Amino acid sequence: MAETVLRKPMKATHSINNAFASKFAKSMFLTVSAIIVLMFIGTRMFTHVDLNLYGYMVGTFVFIAGFFYRFIAWGERPPTKIIIKKGIKLLFRKSTPKISADHLATYQFIWNRGIYRWTQHLLIGWGVILSCLVTFPLVFGWMYFTMEEGGYYTIVAMGIDLMTVPADGVIAFLSYNALNFTAIMVIIGVSMALYRRLKNMQARAEQKFLYDFLPLYLLLFISITGLILTFMNVFLHGAGHYMMSLIHQYSVIVTLIYLPFGKLAHIPFRPLSVFARNYREHYGEQSMKECKVCGEGFVSTEQSQDVVNVLGTNEIDFTMEKDGFNLAELCLPCRRKYRIARFSGFPTHEVKTKEANQNAKG
Amino acid sequence: MKKRLYIELENCIGCRSCLAACTQCGGHEQRNRNYVYDVNPHVNRQTMPLMCLHCENPACARSCPAQAIQIHETGAVLSALVEKCIGCQNCTIACPYGIPKFDEEENLMYKCDLCIDRTKDGIPPMCASVCPSNTLQWLTEEEIEQKQQQHDLDNGKWVTSMPYLEGETNVKVNLPGILQGTEKLF
Repeated sequence: MAETVLRKPMKATHSINNAFASKFAKSMFLTVSAIIVLMFIGTRMFTHVDLNLYGYMVGTFVFIAGFFYRFIAWGERPPTKIIIKKGIKLLFRKSTPKISADHLATYQFIWNRGIYRWTQHLLIGWGVILSCLVTFPLVFGWMYFTMEEGGYYTIVAMGIDLMTVPADGVIAFLSYNALNFTAIMVIIGVSMALYRRLKNMQARAEQKFLYDFLPLYLLLFISITGLILTFMNVFLHGAGHYMMSLIHQYSVIVTLIYLPFGKLAHIPFRPLSVFARNYREHYGEQSMKECKVCGEGFVSTEQSQDVVNVLGTNEIDFTMEKDGFNLAELCLPCRRKYRIARFSGFPTHEVKTKEANQNAKG
Repeated sequence: MKKRLYIELENCIGCRSCLAACTQCGGHEQRNRNYVYDVNPHVNRQTMPLMCLHCENPACARSCPAQAIQIHETGAVLSALVEKCIGCQNCTIACPYGIPKFDEEENLMYKCDLCIDRTKDGIPPMCASVCPSNTLQWLTEEEIEQKQQQHDLDNGKWVTSMPYLEGETNVKVNLPGILQGTEKLF
């Protein structure tokens, strides 16, 4: 009898998820398939694949595997899961484009941390992003050049003839040298970053070779070997080109494989800051949590509850039985005063006076 | 030898040297990360410092979606990594003591890192270096043990952390003599 109760009828599900062994397998399959389909379209049925760049292609697939491995493991953490889930839901808020531009393109918050750091970050960041925008379309054949008639290049994007430009014109010049310009950007930015790491006392105390220096050296190595390639072609009539192109290719592939696991992992993860801002603003507009002591709204009700739940999954619970509140329900000054009250036995948090002189300014 | 920050709260005279010293620590960029509170501001002058206690199971790091709050091998719970902090402020809600500060302009949380550039080499943190009243001390395990024996009144009123705090902490706190019903002679 008991057995029949326990046995549940098999439910026939046809969800796409059932086709894959894991989330990782699904993400990987869909991404690689999408890239191959786009390649098929972009290269006019694989007739214009640049096999000179084939190493980069393999490197990219390894990178994607590493990226999904790291990202999925990270996304399983309870607080991360909440931000990702609610962030996606709130992605179409009106303020998203502005916040994205501020956080991901102009780095307004880094400007506020210091103009030197902003400059180095802008040079490295945009140097790398622009390089990727040039490199990967070339690797997968989403963009290539043909010369139908002498002296004119036709730029083909996604299999469509985009425009025909004179081979010695401005657009052609910019196309040939795009990676040289970005390499110079990255070299200047990395040099600034290295200089700061050698001089800044806090940086010197905290930095580690593998985490802080290695990514900088890798970027420097890529940029310099790339520039040497140009130098060899322009001034040495291509002497040593093949050896150097292999060295350059290896350096890029090593960086790609390393990227999801070191400091550079913040490149794919950073858009979460837009999610976080949307999350705070949206739920803040809905309802603010009022401090259980002073009654002032200090955070959205949603976030307060989310944090309590996340701590709960970690078996951390700050419910104060005696006082009838959770510590997450107190605004920060009240929470600090409550701690003083716990230390002293006198209910400091109930004294209605502002916290005095917390900045050591007289 | 491993040393800990040890706080003897009742010694505090409210001079705020610890706040001033904190601003001078490398990387703190002229902003302090600790607090000094009046216990009963309209009645007397007793003050107490409030520092990050560097929990062994830190709620701030547990609640961080970006893994921006790292724990140093010395046990210090570090300030947010600048490239990882996404500015969600979960840590400020999670911390049972209300320690993390948030800079809206820089979209960055900052908190006491126990002056990691100093303490990783056994040098006391800035606050303990300057405290004139021995409220903040930098002691070995044995010295803290001695303190415990010296102050233990056998009535459960001696406290280093548990069960009076919300969890085990790397910083040890001594509850004031006021509670113990004793007066200290300096």
